[in-house]
Amino acid sequence: MSLATTPTTAVDSAEPRPRRRGYGRYVLSKVAGAVGSLLFMLVVSFFLFRVLPGDPARTLGRGRFTNPEQIEEFNRTYGLNESLPRQFLTYLQNTFSGDLGISLKYRVPVSDLLLDRMWPTLLLVGTSTILATVIGVWLGIRGAWNRGSTFDKASTGASLTLYSMPEWWLGLLLIAVFAVGWGPIPGIFPTGGLHSTDVDPSSLAGVLDTAWHLTLPVITLTLAYLADYALIMRSSLLDELGEDYLTTARAKGLRDIVVRNRHAVPNALLPTTTVIALSMGFIVSGAITVETVFSIPGLGLLGVEALEVPDYWVLQGTFLVAAAGVILANLAANLLYGILDPRVRT
Amino acid sequence: MINEVDSFSPFLGIEATSYEAWALTYDFMVGYAMEDMSPAPALAKEWTTSDDGLTWTFDIRDDVTWSDGKPLTARDIAYTYNRVLDGGPEAVTWSSYLKGVTKVTAPDATHVVLTVGKPNAVLPLLPIPIIPEHVWKDVSEKQVKTYPAEPTDGQPVVGSGPFQLAEGTAGGSTYRFVANKNYWAGPPHVDEVVIRVFKNEDTMVQALIKGEIDFAEDISPLQVKALKDEEGITAQNGESPSFDEIAFNSGSVDTETGKPIGDPNPAVLDPKFRHALGYALDLDQIVRKVYQGAALPGDTIIPPAYPDYRWEPGDEAFTFDLEKAGQLLDEAGYKKGSDGLRTMPDGKPIGTLRLAARTDASLDASVNTMEYFKEWLADLGIKAEVQAFESNRLTEIILDGNFDAFQWNWYVEPDPDSMLSNMTCDQRGGWSDSWYCNDRYDALYEQQHNEMDQAAREDQVKEMQRILFEDSPYLVTAYTAIGEAVRTDKFACFQSQPDPGGVWLVQYGGHNYSSVRPASQAGDCDGVESALKPTSAAEDSGASNGFWIGVGAAAVVLIGVGGVVMLRRRATVGERE
Repeated sequence: MSLATTPTTAVDSAEPRPRRRGYGRYVLSKVAGAVGSLLFMLVVSFFLFRVLPGDPARTLGRGRFTNPEQIEEFNRTYGLNESLPRQFLTYLQNTFSGDLGISLKYRVPVSDLLLDRMWPTLLLVGTSTILATVIGVWLGIRGAWNRGSTFDKASTGASLTLYSMPEWWLGLLLIAVFAVGWGPIPGIFPTGGLHSTDVDPSSLAGVLDTAWHLTLPVITLTLAYLADYALIMRSSLLDELGEDYLTTARAKGLRDIVVRNRHAVPNALLPTTTVIALSMGFIVSGAITVETVFSIPGLGLLGVEALEVPDYWVLQGTFLVAAAGVILANLAANLLYGILDPRVRT
Repeated sequence: MINEVDSFSPFLGIEATSYEAWALTYDFMVGYAMEDMSPAPALAKEWTTSDDGLTWTFDIRDDVTWSDGKPLTARDIAYTYNRVLDGGPEAVTWSSYLKGVTKVTAPDATHVVLTVGKPNAVLPLLPIPIIPEHVWKDVSEKQVKTYPAEPTDGQPVVGSGPFQLAEGTAGGSTYRFVANKNYWAGPPHVDEVVIRVFKNEDTMVQALIKGEIDFAEDISPLQVKALKDEEGITAQNGESPSFDEIAFNSGSVDTETGKPIGDPNPAVLDPKFRHALGYALDLDQIVRKVYQGAALPGDTIIPPAYPDYRWEPGDEAFTFDLEKAGQLLDEAGYKKGSDGLRTMPDGKPIGTLRLAARTDASLDASVNTMEYFKEWLADLGIKAEVQAFESNRLTEIILDGNFDAFQWNWYVEPDPDSMLSNMTCDQRGGWSDSWYCNDRYDALYEQQHNEMDQAAREDQVKEMQRILFEDSPYLVTAYTAIGEAVRTDKFACFQSQPDPGGVWLVQYGGHNYSSVRPASQAGDCDGVESALKPTSAAEDSGASNGFWIGVGAAAVVLIGVGGVVMLRRRATVGERE
């Protein structure tokens, strides 16, 4: 995670300091920072995609818009014939009034498109992230506490193997075995998609059907994400193992499990919190490879496919959503740290 | 390449899957014949032309109703065409078919009258989906650019075609179409057609084997080979009217001033040089190695699917003959120097030819073709290097004229007019990627466009291909095929287009959606002998059965994109009548 939020370095100065800043001012400064980043992203997202090679009317219209008038008409309809500064102004005006433009490929408002694609992504990546967090943290705790045990070796080895495996390959493997069937294993899961055509997605049967469709992709992503949490939790808990307060706790006669859960784990959770908070931010970026293998129309795929056109407004929209996700998760992590560790407020 | 539906609105969509969706939902006034893709009666029973060729009168069927029960009349047709003629977003895709048309009227419910300024040879072909006026009159000029034409409040989209879209949204992963029992040409033999989008070819093939889908569209030659061994599945590489070519910079110029732009190698500007290289291509090897056999060797820009317009090079055809190529180069002055490399006629070195390939094309055909070409050029004493670009970047390079040769492809419509126009002088800076310009070719283009005598037009079109063959702005390398596989244990009666050897779906006119039948009811497929017959005794359980089709194409990552169609057969045989 290259974007890791290190909370403002906690300096424990030897000199007595004046009073620490209040939490209110801390919040204010962090929120201002986040808003600033968002505004910056707003500008970047416009120019970033304009420098891409390609002309949407040409990419889309090959073999269809046969004469120059047709291309001109297309550009006029979607405002592509205007000068770049003019387009930038329109973009700013529209974005602030909540209008993200019209997709050049799908010809529908980008906000509709984003909302449409948001929930499959949230279901897929969100569920996987939560599952990976819970299972990963549990594996990390068990592994660290019994360091060197068979369980530790097996779980570390397995999660590392899964981590290094390409997600699409793991996905295809699961499809071949559990969707198509292999040997005695029946192919009970669907090969892809979000739901069957003959059920109403909002009914109970529809919800179960969607869950059924999402089982394999969620398993794929969960397995791929596991190592992240398991290894960080394991190493930060290992750091705590030698600490004096644990010896004290044991000396008090506490049972081993209580020493672990009440004393060691809470202290080891801090780094994991950072990683989790960031992963939450990345949920809305989607999971391109798994969305592709299982044909799930999510935000990741939307963004990548828009690059081919290039579909400027969709690119800007997905980029903004992804950036906003990370920035907000960052902000949340910072605010949480302000509570967990008052030292960062200085 | 087949992708998801980009828009269900006939005025907005561009992807092939969208055209399939409209073929299901709507009708044409004059469409395509199943057999030879020539203009064929659809909503119009017949038509007449005035002696000067400027007035066309179409006799419209009086027994057609929209799916909401309202009658479809000549007025709906005139309304559709007039929306296109009035400009705006509606004109973007369709105005080229109405080129030269000045007025469209419906004097009564069964007649449409078209007035043209000059005779137009492309008419009567008008593959524009006819939309219902009573629905679309509420869609203003401003709204049409985002009007999705999708089901609202659970009501299917109003159309007159064999199926109606009941469920689905552009860019979504499944689209469900229900049969129109009152279809004027007879009700379809299946209850539903469901198109399902797969973003990965391998997944799609797995779904076909499992039986989740019944038809997989656009799969690789290797997958076709593997699926041929599966019981109950019939697979083919279906001929499709498209070609791959090596194009040369034939003279990039600033279209305003006429001054040369870019930095083409002077050698490729010479038609004789380009033509000689035609003998330096081992097309059989390209077909075998680059396309795994799923293609035919190419020669001219009109594919074999259209025999009426296609010019056959005959004795002049390119053969793989490096000696002849060398001899032609010698004659044109490109003689070998002391270092074994050929020089320009003035003795200067040719330098290194830049062969541009596309990195995002499926099957790596682009790069591989150019790699072979490079080897053969080396045998001739010409140095070359292969440069790979992403398509959008290559487009920019082509428009700047900064290239010597590149590899690309075209999909050719049944009427040759639009493909031929791509090679005219006027299209330089537009769709002409070779920058080719020849006055005689242009004069013939105008002539054939206004020629009302079919035989004369065919001769002109052939002469144009001969000129292109001589000047060789393009060296057509292959006519490519599309991999398809169908569960013939469940569904049958697909007819190839062109027949034989052509594709089973994604055709012109969408006829197969009306003729496909459950395997158990296939019979003799209404006497169509070449139609795909069911394999093995199909089980007739009477239970609801699914017929699924998959389509794949190259995507950005290492992975494919595709769509699938599933036809749902009637619930029971008893319901059939």
